[in-house]
Amino acid sequence: MNLYSLEIYKIFSRWRTYIGFGFIALIVILTEVVMKLSAGEIVHRMMRSLQKDFLIFGNVLNGWFVTGFIMNSLHIHIPFLIALVAGDIVSGEASSGTVRFLLIRPPSRYKIITAKYVTTLFYTAGLVVFLGLMCVVPGLALFGSGDLLVHHFGKFGIVLIPEAEIPIRMLVAFVAAIWSMTAVASIAFLLSTLVENSIGPIIGTMAVVVVFLVIGNFPFDFFRSLKPYLFTTYMVFWQQFLDDPIRWQEIAKSAVILGLHSLGLFFIAFGVYGRKDIKS
Amino acid sequence: MAESSRKEIVLKTTGLSKKFGGRWAAKGLNLEVHRGDIFGFLGPNGAGKSTTIRMILTLLRPTSGSVEIFGKDLHKNRRSVLSRVCGIVEKPDFYLYLSAYRNLEILGSMTRRIRREEILEALDEVGLKSRAFEKVKTFSHGMKQRLGIAQALLTRPELIILDEPTSGLDPQGMKEVRELIKKLSVERKMTVFLSSHLLSEVELVATRMAVINHGELIVQGEASELLEREATEFSIQASPFDAAVKFIRNLPWVEVISSENGKIGVHVSPGHASELNRLLVTHEIDVSSFYPHRTLEDFFLKVTEGTSEI
Repeated sequence: MNLYSLEIYKIFSRWRTYIGFGFIALIVILTEVVMKLSAGEIVHRMMRSLQKDFLIFGNVLNGWFVTGFIMNSLHIHIPFLIALVAGDIVSGEASSGTVRFLLIRPPSRYKIITAKYVTTLFYTAGLVVFLGLMCVVPGLALFGSGDLLVHHFGKFGIVLIPEAEIPIRMLVAFVAAIWSMTAVASIAFLLSTLVENSIGPIIGTMAVVVVFLVIGNFPFDFFRSLKPYLFTTYMVFWQQFLDDPIRWQEIAKSAVILGLHSLGLFFIAFGVYGRKDIKS
Repeated sequence: MAESSRKEIVLKTTGLSKKFGGRWAAKGLNLEVHRGDIFGFLGPNGAGKSTTIRMILTLLRPTSGSVEIFGKDLHKNRRSVLSRVCGIVEKPDFYLYLSAYRNLEILGSMTRRIRREEILEALDEVGLKSRAFEKVKTFSHGMKQRLGIAQALLTRPELIILDEPTSGLDPQGMKEVRELIKKLSVERKMTVFLSSHLLSEVELVATRMAVINHGELIVQGEASELLEREATEFSIQASPFDAAVKFIRNLPWVEVISSENGKIGVHVSPGHASELNRLLVTHEIDVSSFYPHRTLEDFFLKVTEGTSEI
C-alpha cells in the first residue's frame, strides 16, 4: 500500500467518516419523501407568486428541482460534515499518539502531510458526489424528470433550463461544489496541523464559515467592503451553472479565488507541519 | 574498552541540545552506540531521555548539535537512515479501531513491502498471533508493548530505539519484554537503544550505558565497567547467619549497614567485593546470594565523583 491508499484506508476504517454519509442519506431521503407526500402543497406555494407573471405547466416538481432545492438547503451544513473528518485527519494522530509511529518512518513529513491532504480532498469529493447521487437518483425515481425551474434568491424572474441540458449542468455544478468545499476542507486541515485535538479544528472551521457568512450578509458598507475578500462569498458559485446565461467570467474568478485559497492554506499547513516539534 | 572502540558506531550524537523556552531539556549530548550494543540510556524522570530519543527519531528538531546514524547525517539522509531504524517513543500507541494485523500492515508498509506471512510471523514471535485480527482497543498495555516490538521485528531494523519499554508493565510483562529485547539483540543481531529510569532494569540487559540528568550526560561506557566501578553496597544471604555477621564485622574494609531478615547489608571498600565473597566461603560460611544493592540515585552520586567518560 502506498501512503495515499494507507490514508484512505485509515479514514474509511473509522465510524466518524460515515457520519457525514449517514446524515446526508437520512436528510435527503427524508426531504424527498416529505416533498413527495406534500407535493401538491409545495407546487401550490411555489406557483402562487410565479403564476401572477408566468404561465407554467408540466412537471415542475421533478427530480432536478428537488436536487437543486436540497443543494441550496445543505450548503451550510456540508462544511460541518467535512470539518468532522478534515479537522481530525492530522490532529487525531497526535491525540491518539500514533503520530510518534507515523513520523519516524522513512517517508518525509512533507509526503505524509501531502497524502493526508489528498485524502481529505478525496473524502470531500466523495461526500459531495454522494450528496449528488442521493439527490438525483431517488429524486428522479420519485419525481420523474423535466425542465428545471430555477429562481435565484434576490434576483427578479426565473430561469428555465431545458431537460436535455440539465445533466451536464448538474454535473459541472457538483464539480464546482466540490471545488468550493475544498476551501472549507483546507481550513479544517490547516487547523488540524496546529493543534493536538480534533474538537478545535472542527469548531474553528465552523466558526470561520459562520462568521464569514454573517459578515458577508450584513447590510453595512464596512462589511460590504470586506465581502470580496471572504472565501464564503464565492462558495456558492456552483449555482451559476444553473443560471442563464452562464457567466463564465464570474465562475472563473470564483474558481481561481477558491483555488488560491485552498492552495495557500495547504502550503501553510505544509510549512507548519514540516517544522513542527512533536511533543505529544 | 579496546573492544568497543573497534566496533562500528551505529549512532553518534554530537553536542545534541534542545531548548524549550528558557530551559535546556538536553544539553551538549555526545552519545556513542556501537553495533550489537544493548545500550542503556538512564536518567530519572524529566532528565531529558525522551527529548533525546525524539531528536534521534526526527520528532523534535535539535536546537543545536547533530545526529549520525550508520555514519550518515540523519537530517541529510533521513529516508535511507530511518528505513534501517525502528523506535517506540514513550508508550506504544496504535490505531485502536484497527486490528493488530492491520496496524502492522500500515506501519510496516511505510518502510517496505510487507507480505501477510511476515506479519503473522512477527505476531507469532511476540505471542499475539491468536489475537491478530482483533482490534487493538481490546489489548492490554503489555500486549501493545509486544505489538510495538512485533512492528520492530517486521521492518527488520538494524537499530531499534525503545523509550521506557517496561514502563507500566507488571513483573511478568517486564520479564517478557526483557526477553524480547535480548532476543532482538542475540538472534536478530539488532543494536538496541533502551531508555529507562530504572537501573535495575537496564543492568539486566545492557552491554553499554549512559546516564543523563538535567539534560546533561553524566557518564557513559561499558555497563560492566560502570557497574563494577560503582558497586560498593551489597546484600548477602549466608548461613550460619550470626557467624557470618560476626566474621564480616571483623574485616577492616567492610562496614555492616544492616543485618535483619536473614540479609546482611554491607558497604565494601572498592575492589574488595570478590575478596569478601571468597573469604566467607573459605571460612565455611555458605553464601546463597551476594548481589550489589544500587539505586539510580546512589549510582548518580557515585559516578559524579569519578570522571564523566570512561
